[in-house]
Amino acid sequence: MKVTLWGTRGSLAAPGPETARYGGNTSCVGVRGREGSVLVLDAGTGIRRLGASLDASLRRIDILLTHMHMDHIQGLGFFSPLYHPDLDVHIWGPASTNLSLRERLMRYLSPPLFPVSLRELPCAITLHEVPCGEVDIGEFRVSTALVCHPGPTVGYRIAEARGSVLTYLPDHEPALGALTFPSLPRAWTSGGSLAAEADLLIHDSQYNSHEYLGHVGWGHSSLKQTLDFATLSEVKQLVPFHHDPGHTDADLDLLMEEAIAYANPAYRVCPGVEGATFEI
Amino acid sequence: MSTSKSIQMILARQLASSIATPILLVDAGGALIYFNEPAEAIFNQRFDETGEMSSGEWTALIAAVDDERNPLPPENRPMMRVLIERHPVSQTMWTRSSDGEWRHLHITAFPLIGEKNVLFGAMSIFWEI
Repeated sequence: MKVTLWGTRGSLAAPGPETARYGGNTSCVGVRGREGSVLVLDAGTGIRRLGASLDASLRRIDILLTHMHMDHIQGLGFFSPLYHPDLDVHIWGPASTNLSLRERLMRYLSPPLFPVSLRELPCAITLHEVPCGEVDIGEFRVSTALVCHPGPTVGYRIAEARGSVLTYLPDHEPALGALTFPSLPRAWTSGGSLAAEADLLIHDSQYNSHEYLGHVGWGHSSLKQTLDFATLSEVKQLVPFHHDPGHTDADLDLLMEEAIAYANPAYRVCPGVEGATFEI
Repeated sequence: MSTSKSIQMILARQLASSIATPILLVDAGGALIYFNEPAEAIFNQRFDETGEMSSGEWTALIAAVDDERNPLPPENRPMMRVLIERHPVSQTMWTRSSDGEWRHLHITAFPLIGEKNVLFGAMSIFWEI
């Protein structure tokens, strides 16, 4: 599969010269299979450019939302395929205990926050509530599970028939409440089964270690925790993702360099840079 | 190695591990999947030593009688009642583990139910009277 990062920023879009290299768009990742299946992971502001890049002959697209925080859905209304009447769009995302996925999406895709209502979109939309165990989407087998982040939030494990595995955990705090991390086996770690031995793990790394101490319980990880989680998960490659909007390119370069030098991981680390592509 | 746990159970364990009151966690089948450090006195063993135990194993470790000293079969103890009845249970009982000491306990147990009414297991809190 080919994986493209269209938005790597967390919390809030952060355009500007000081963030131009890592990118200012919020979470969005495109996945294209060898047989042409297209998955879109989250609908942050990066989804607008992804939409413009799609082949006009495409007839189905699946959008996999991890949760309903604004930085993960804000681009949805600007995703051009939603306005194509001959396109089947499947949206996967978590319901809450009280509201369906449709009701949760309608809170954004309706006035006054957005002028077009979900039911007015010309494309054929089908909604699927997750987590729903394992499901086949096109050529992919997709596994979902709730993970540690405020509100219903899932992670995705996307496997190809030939065995390549991508795990997407953009907002994730597996270290929450642990005296030391990691201290428990993978089975007892949030996201552990989703990330186990993945070929590519895209994972939250919003903070440096000092910043994390002031944000415990906010649902995000420090880069050091992310490196430790990737080690526990025995992944082959890690992409630190969901960068804090206050971190400049220079900040991120330094953060990555220091953390990677300290951890000396056995796997490859490729910082999450907007526009980067990975073949796995 | 134990099977992967749901986020509900992972968070329940994290809560239990930071609480000074004895707490037990069982899965939906009644297997004991965690007890915290304060609960070690009730079992007279550490969780690190026992690991996870089937319902038959862990209920056999603890003798239990009601306030009239009548033996309590496993299905009448709070954890199993919660799983069967799917609502909170609170009762007093006497327990004895391998140290031979009887303890008078007030136990409150409640089910851990997630979205779509899925029962993940139960948590119980022990209070020595």
